[in-house]
Amino acid sequence: MAGIDDLRQIGERFDGEKARAADRSSLEELHARYLSRKSGLLTLEMQRLRELPADQRPAFGKLANRLKQRIESELAEREAALAGEERSAREETEALDVSLPGSRPRIGHRHPITLARRAIEDIFLAMGYTVEDGPEVETTYNNFDALNIGPEHPSRDESDTFYISDDIVLRTQTSPVQIRTMERQPPPIRIICPGRVFRRDELDATHSPMFHQIEGLVVDEGISFGDLKGTLDLLHRQFFGERTRTRLRPSYFPFTEPSAEVDVSCEFCESRGCRVCKHTGWIEMMGAGMVHPAVYDCVGYDTARYSGFAFGLGIDRYAMLKYGIDDIPLLFQNDMRFLSQF
Amino acid sequence: MKISIQWLRDFLDLPEAPRAVGERLTLAGLAVDGVARAGSDTVLELDVTANRGDCLSHIGVARELSAIYDVDIRSPEAAAAEGSAAMDDVFAIAIEDAGLCRRYCGRYISGVRVGPSPEWLVRRLEAVGIRSVNNVADATNYVLMELGHPLHAFDADTLDGSRIVVRRAAAGETLRTIDGDERRLDDTTLVIADARRAVALAGIMGGLDTEISDRTTNVLLESAWFDPVSVRKTAKRIRLGTEASYRFERGADVAMAATALERAAGLIIELAGGVALRGVIDVYPAPIEPDRIALRRGRIAEHLGAAVPDAEVERVFRRLGFEPRVSADGWTVRTPSHRHDIAREEDLIEEIARHHGYERFPATLPVWSGQGRQLPSHAGETHVRDTLAGLGYTETCSIAFGNRDTQAAFAPGVEPVEIRNPLSEDAPILRTSLVPSVLGSIQWNLNRGLRDVALYEIAKVYPTSGEKRRLVMAATGAADAPRIHQSTVETDFFRLKGEVEALLSRFDLVLAESTDALPPYLHPGRSVRLGAVASVGELHAEWESRFKFRQKICVAEIDIEHVLERGLRAIATAPIPKYPAVRRDLSLLVARRTPYRDVVEAVHRAGIAELTDVFPFDRLERGPFSASFYSLAVTLVFQSGERTLTDSEVQGFAERVLAELRKIGIELRS
Ligand SMILES: [Zn+2]
Repeated sequence: MAGIDDLRQIGERFDGEKARAADRSSLEELHARYLSRKSGLLTLEMQRLRELPADQRPAFGKLANRLKQRIESELAEREAALAGEERSAREETEALDVSLPGSRPRIGHRHPITLARRAIEDIFLAMGYTVEDGPEVETTYNNFDALNIGPEHPSRDESDTFYISDDIVLRTQTSPVQIRTMERQPPPIRIICPGRVFRRDELDATHSPMFHQIEGLVVDEGISFGDLKGTLDLLHRQFFGERTRTRLRPSYFPFTEPSAEVDVSCEFCESRGCRVCKHTGWIEMMGAGMVHPAVYDCVGYDTARYSGFAFGLGIDRYAMLKYGIDDIPLLFQNDMRFLSQF
Repeated sequence: MKISIQWLRDFLDLPEAPRAVGERLTLAGLAVDGVARAGSDTVLELDVTANRGDCLSHIGVARELSAIYDVDIRSPEAAAAEGSAAMDDVFAIAIEDAGLCRRYCGRYISGVRVGPSPEWLVRRLEAVGIRSVNNVADATNYVLMELGHPLHAFDADTLDGSRIVVRRAAAGETLRTIDGDERRLDDTTLVIADARRAVALAGIMGGLDTEISDRTTNVLLESAWFDPVSVRKTAKRIRLGTEASYRFERGADVAMAATALERAAGLIIELAGGVALRGVIDVYPAPIEPDRIALRRGRIAEHLGAAVPDAEVERVFRRLGFEPRVSADGWTVRTPSHRHDIAREEDLIEEIARHHGYERFPATLPVWSGQGRQLPSHAGETHVRDTLAGLGYTETCSIAFGNRDTQAAFAPGVEPVEIRNPLSEDAPILRTSLVPSVLGSIQWNLNRGLRDVALYEIAKVYPTSGEKRRLVMAATGAADAPRIHQSTVETDFFRLKGEVEALLSRFDLVLAESTDALPPYLHPGRSVRLGAVASVGELHAEWESRFKFRQKICVAEIDIEHVLERGLRAIATAPIPKYPAVRRDLSLLVARRTPYRDVVEAVHRAGIAELTDVFPFDRLERGPFSASFYSLAVTLVFQSGERTLTDSEVQGFAERVLAELRKIGIELRS
């Protein structure tokens, strides 16, 4: 039974060589040595099948096939094990100190006034308001006369308003945009007018010669003081948080009647009274009111048919309260240590 | 305005403690800014709005409280004991300008003894911030604070001719006022004069020569009504504001003139003795009639959002001194003489709202259909801001005023808008360029130890031709945050140019590059214009040193108004190419004076439709070639929408490109 013995010898020899194969290339060599189509030891041995007597052939064939399968599967198994070891070794050498910081790209920051402006605009856009703008260098007429601010009103003083000439000022409010809009189109009007305004104050912790406003104007049939209250209440709950309450108290502006100062509940002390709210539990935020009929007279609206409300808020003030800024110059110094917090 | 709680109690019973009274007043429109103890008294600090001159007194505040608490008011005693001699036998009063002085009441008190005031009076005046002078002056000040009506006491014996004439000053006339200043008057100034000269600035301040002194025995007491505008103009012109002018400017109560006179006369006699001559001289040529205004019941609910019961409407009006008379659809309301701010129906509705309580009207939202819109520029602006944030630029906001010389240097030839009354002579114009501001901001941060800064601002500039929005970008130092994994890239001309190109690439713009008409503040060899829209460059050495910068600063100025007007390009997608693109690299020798732009233009002149891109990938200034050349490697990308390009086709394209390049002296580097 020479053939069968030969097969056994091949098998034993394979076992010895397999044990010595330490890497994948040796395994490939082994595969070639035993199983290569032309010169593999087992391949050649199997070709001797025809030389064997017919009665020995089935046993030999069976044994040879079994050996072939064994070599193939053991090589594959060994290869998989080696691949695993290599992968682990590579992972070991490639390992990083992942506690180092990431290569963080520099991302710019929005100015707090822009952030607050966008937030307020979005609240009103969602309520169906349209955004309007207009020039910052305005006519005295649009800035004062058309708003029922008489020629003797103190806000017209050169100590309060920047003048270019008798007829041209730096607008002290964005209300002129309301006038321009009303002169251009009939009711219904639902607009907000964001923009830059000027008052003749030196820059200090609580004043600035330039600041930013959003004024709102609604003129339609059946608009009431209650609608103004509800609108401002919604604004403050969305901007400052759902718990914020809004309070209107009587005040005076030449272009509204009734007029109101609008307060929000102090978040810092939960309305118990603190330094921020001057121990009142309320923080004054803006002026508002029902549009004075004299304003409608100026733009030619029918006062019997239409009513409306208007409000004007300082974006800077809203940003300061929301983000806890207590010094106005911070808004205009452009110090990165401040701006990078937004 | 300081209000004493004890003083208020003379007029009405207060059912609540001072702090609560303050809160009620605040919610009725008289903002109480402070509540302070003053001995046994409590003083409220009131911020009275300009329309409510009637509340610059204790009686005025008491009137509001009588409506708030629905309680009655006690009127102060106003009567003076009279002697038998008649005033008009010894004194005369005449108004020459009845437009500026509607009423003038006078009382003559003889035989007073001027001296210190009693303790209670001194303390009351002190509580509301007034220093005691003498019993006569204190009496007038007391009535001022109590009834809100300014009075003036003259030493009657110093009045020449025993007469008062209310007239305009003559040009060049002068008057030494009680504060000792010599005032030059003109014919817009209303004065109180005696037979010879001006003795008081009407409604503002009395004269020094005729004031009450220790020797005074006879007093002429004035209680008048002066035109608010005239008092305001005069007070402003001579820069003298007094308790009296403050009240006349806001409109005094013409009816109160007589009452206040009697109250003060009674008080003077009580404090300083003497007797009032019989009768009052009351010159009131054209009595001011109260307004009657119609108020429709339905309008209240329409305007405020909820109806108010009739009884409440009438209660509020009566308590405030209005007289409501029922009409067919509401009321006709007579306004009291102390209110100058009530002219229309809406003004009456406000009184109801104020005293019924703003908090009692429901908070509703207007009901409407339709949709709101952002500004047309909004989408583009948002894209710009988002991109800039992504590029690492932080937004700044600078005050819009500028220095004349600096602005002229950064925006030469642009006529600025001048402010007539600037805060500072150093910044008297509106900015015509945003560049100085952003450089100032860079400087501010570098001076505080930062090194890597990238800032932008979107704001208006204001040439006389019309205000326009601009974008300015400025960057210096590393373009990325510091990192240990690889070295950072310093911001330079090409970095900023690329950022601006990326920023503008989505807009509907054609950006032809040019180096003509570069801004003078940029390095002439390191700056470029992109169309008429942007200029980009490194800061000129002169400005580098003027701002004391010790590192490279890159600046871009962009006409964002124009960019946003053009708007974002409409998106219309093209199909993804089916056939592969083929790249062909060319290594070229280019004459030193030939800019890259000429190379690209020559490549395009070959007119190859399949050429989809051309970009440089290497540039060598020196090498194994003549010093008058540089080596430039460019990549050409070819692609066909119809088939895969063959090698020989691509080779043919390259030959055609090279032929064009040769025409401008560019050779293939061998
Ligand atoms: Zn608080």
